[in-house]
Formats: sequence, structure tokens, C-alpha cells
Amino acid sequence: MKGLRIYLPFTVNEIKRQMSYKGAFYLFILISTFGSFVSYFLWSAIYGSSPQAVLGGLSRSEMTVYIFMVYVTSAIVNISISDWVSEDVVKGTVAMQLIKPMDYRLSLIARATGVMAYQFVLPSVFIWIGLEVYKYFVLGLGFTALANIGLYLLSSLMSFLIFVLFDFCVGMIAFFTNYIFGLLMVKEALLSFLTGQLIPLSFFPAAVQRIFDFLPFSSMIYTPVMIYLGKYRGGELAWVLLRQLIWVLLLYGLGSLIWRRVTKRLVVLGG
Amino acid sequence: MIEVKHIRKEFVTPKKYPGLKGAIKGLFRREKVRKVAVDDISFTIEDGEIVGYIGSNGAGKSTTIKMMTGILRPTSGEILVNGIDPAKNRKENAAKIGVVFGQRTQLWWDLPLSESFTILREIYDVPREDYESRMAFLNEVLGLQEFFDSPVRTLSLGQRMRADLGAALLHNPKVLYLDEPTIGLDIVVKDNIRKAIRRINREHNTTVILTTHDMGDIEELCSRIIIIDEGRKIYDGTPEHLRDTYGSHRMVRAEVSRPLSGDLWALLQVEPQACIADYDPQRKLVEIRFDKNRLHVPQILHGLMQLTEVSDVHIIETDLAEIVKQIYTHGASEGRA
Repeated sequence: MKGLRIYLPFTVNEIKRQMSYKGAFYLFILISTFGSFVSYFLWSAIYGSSPQAVLGGLSRSEMTVYIFMVYVTSAIVNISISDWVSEDVVKGTVAMQLIKPMDYRLSLIARATGVMAYQFVLPSVFIWIGLEVYKYFVLGLGFTALANIGLYLLSSLMSFLIFVLFDFCVGMIAFFTNYIFGLLMVKEALLSFLTGQLIPLSFFPAAVQRIFDFLPFSSMIYTPVMIYLGKYRGGELAWVLLRQLIWVLLLYGLGSLIWRRVTKRLVVLGG
Repeated sequence: MIEVKHIRKEFVTPKKYPGLKGAIKGLFRREKVRKVAVDDISFTIEDGEIVGYIGSNGAGKSTTIKMMTGILRPTSGEILVNGIDPAKNRKENAAKIGVVFGQRTQLWWDLPLSESFTILREIYDVPREDYESRMAFLNEVLGLQEFFDSPVRTLSLGQRMRADLGAALLHNPKVLYLDEPTIGLDIVVKDNIRKAIRRINREHNTTVILTTHDMGDIEELCSRIIIIDEGRKIYDGTPEHLRDTYGSHRMVRAEVSRPLSGDLWALLQVEPQACIADYDPQRKLVEIRFDKNRLHVPQILHGLMQLTEVSDVHIIETDLAEIVKQIYTHGASEGRA
């Protein structure tokens, strides 16, 4: 634990840094909530014009919860550390990280934790509370069970780890190509699709879903949100959580492997 | 003690072709270009030495420093810093060294300087009492308190460099690597930085390795210099020895009333190239370059006074910069051949 303590300042600092760029942050909230409402009205129209009440295993009310819980979840999971890696590589500042007696990946994850903590408070918790109130009084579904909330939080934490560990591997590509901005755009687009951020994965054909089972993406956002909705029970629930844990371990190992290769052929740009 | 044994570093980069056509060609062809940045360099540095590591731009100085700090891994050869291989045990090595890259900063750009020091205290696990006394020392030597609460991005270059030096010294490192620590600084700040480096070296017996293009840094700080060119070591010794070996010429500059009435070399009975006199009619100056192993200043002055009327005399010592310039140009042409 003493080993991890030295990374705490990175977390604290990231929170401070986030607070010093408030304007940009509120703009981000505004744009992303706007996106959620667009998607809410879109799905309302789809449900309104469909003869069936349940689409892809979700009722209209459940879809509302899905959309806003995706928003809450991605705010605390989707923290792009590959942006930081690519910045460090392009500007050559990675040298300044490597002269410190610390693990580069852990320092990045510590920073990401800072962002996560900040975004969890602002705005996730408020949206979440708002959603619960709406769910109780308007949708008449009652509050979500505490057990589901607890499992959701556990699952989200693993989602966060899966995301940042995966994103670290993506960021490593910057060491080979020196520039990955285009690639990061592609990553964003692909992830919004594959993680279930745009469309619940249950809408995909069964064969495609089977492929998704072997990829880490569904574990990033879809899994915790479905847990929140209480869609998994008993053995299935244990399996999706275990699968998340396996992905955490696998991606951790993969990242270590790539990092070892990268440090062997590292080129520091500029001077 | 730092031991560097036969290190070599090659960079492999894909070949770039010129122009748009070339860029398209580059998409399909992947020819690799191998560039040797450091070629078989060895040296040993004892504790408490201040060593100047110099060479022209792109000679491989920074690459060597990066290998010694564990950022880069040598293609072949071995480095031991107090018994630790920095490439294999980067973190263990990093805890015991301080590094300043003059063109970069290790401080947190968006936060007040004080925050950076708090973070570094945690990272290097400096006990609180040590931190207090260390900060008192750094404040005294570098004057950090003036801007301790300002965000790093608002600091001037001189302030930032002092702050970076302070940050590198917070954990009392055994070895301090300085990559161009005085780049772009004014004379007063340069002088302060040099004084600080000297004091730290004296009081804590810190080994200092610095690269620089400023010969003033070398003359004021270094007891030893290593010169590299095109990745190879071409000199390792004291600055005085360098001056004795390479700077065999001295110069006398005299203000005179009229041109010399004869050849000085003939009068002094040496061959023409051992004593070259140039007359500048506009400024009425005579510059005499002479071989200091053959002739002495009194002889020159004596001869000069026989040939003209002298009103003032300056004796100019060949400065290190001049010698180093000669070595760089000489070394480079040798490498090309």
C-alpha cells in the first residue's frame, strides 16, 4: 500500500487541475447532457412508432434509465488516458515522467482516478439522483434496490480499470507512430458503438453478440448499466462480474508486456 | 561512481521521401534508416566530480544523458550508476538521481510551484524534517520563495530554471544530471545557477554531469571535460590540459601609430607561420598570433617596438570556446572523410 501512496498526489492534483479549468468542464457537461437528451427523444420516437412495447429486451421506461445511466457511467469510466500518453510522446515530456521513481502507467491511472472522482461528483451523482426521482415519481418504477446499486458501483469500478488499461495499450501505439490523433478519433467512434453507449448491445444479432462476449468492450459500459437495470441474475451475474475481473487482469498483463517492449525501443522526441 | 562501458545507441527510423509524391511512396515502402547517435563511449566518473559533457548540436550528448538516467536503453554496452543499471532498474536509479533538462520542465505546469514541491516530496518519500531543512537550503541558494506560490506557467525562464533545479535537488540526489541548465538565461541568473551548482557540489559532494554550449559554465564549474563528436569521445581531461594541447597559439593586440616597417617573424628569427601579424589600417591595430611554445610575450613586444610606435597592448589568452570550435569543425571534417 505504501507503494501506491506515492501516486495519490497525482489523483489529488488532477482534481485541482480539473477545477482550475471550470469553463471547459461545464461546456463538456452541457454538450454531453445535450447528447443524452437527443438520444432520449430519438428512442421515444422509436418506441412511439413501434407496435411492440419491448425492444431489444428493454421497455420504454427501462430504455430511459439505460440512456441516462450510460451517461452517468461513461462520465466515470470513459477517461481517455491515451490523450495524455500521446501528448507526452509528441512533446517529448515522457522523459520527464521517466526520470521520476514511479511507474508511468500507475501515475496515469492515478490521474484518471482524479478525473473519475471529480466527474462522479460533478455531474454524475446529480444526474443519477435526478434519474431516480424521475423513475420513482414519473415512470412509477420505484427506486433501484441497494444491492443493484452496490453491484453497479463494483462493476463500474472494474469498467473504469478495463477502460484505462485498454486505453493505455492504445496510447502505446503513439510510441511507434509518434502521432495518434486520428487513431484516437477512430477509437472514440468504435467504442461508442461497441461498448453499448449508442445502442444497447442486446439490439445486435445473436451472432454478433457472441463475438462481443469475447471482446472487452461490452464490459466497459454495457455490463454495469445492465446490472443496474437488474437484467442479470444468479449465475449470469457472477459470470459477467468474473468476466470483468478477467479483462482487468488480461489487459494489465498486456499493458506490462507492451510497456516492456516500448522502453526498449523508446525514442524521445526533441533534444 | 558512474561507469560507462562501451555504450552504443542506434535509432532506427523509417525513411522519409521528399514532397507529396514521396509521402505517398512512404505509405507503401518501409525503408529503414539506421542512425548511430552514440558510438562506443566509455568513461568513469568519481563521486563529487563536476564533469562537463560537451559537443556540437546532435553530437549525442543528450542521448548519453538519457541513457545514464535510464530513459533510453543502450543498444549495446553497459552503464552502472553507483552499481545500479539505470535501464534495468529505472525506478531504483531514479530515486537517487536528480535531472534537469533545460528545455523542458518536470514541474506541474498548471499548478503553483509549491504544489509541485509537495508532490515531489511524496514521490521521493522525503521525510518532513528533511524537507524543511532542504527547502531552507534551496531557498537560500536559489531564492525560490519569491515565486513559490505562482503557477509554474507564469514563471520567467530564469525562475523556472531555478525552480527546476530546486525540484531536482529536493531529495538530495547523489548524482545530478544537467542538460543545458543555463540555456537562454541572462548573465545574472546564469551566475546564480552556477553558484548554486558549486555550493551543492561542495556541501553535499554531489556528482554533477552537465552538458552545455556555454564555455563559461565549463570554465567556472568543471574540473574535467569530455568532448564528443558524431557519437564518439574525442577528448577526456581537464580544461587546462585541453588549452595546453590544442591552444598552442596566443595573441597580442597592439594599438600602433603606423604600420610595421618590416616582418616581425624575420626579426625574431622564426618561420612565418609561428608569428603572424595582421595590420588593420582603419583601427590602427596590429594583431599578432604566435606559437606560445616558441615565443614569449616579452620577445614579441620587444620586436614590435623596434618596428613601430606602440601606444597600448592587450595580451589575449586563447579561450576555451575558440579551441572547442576548432575541435568541432576539425572533428566534423574528419568524420566526413
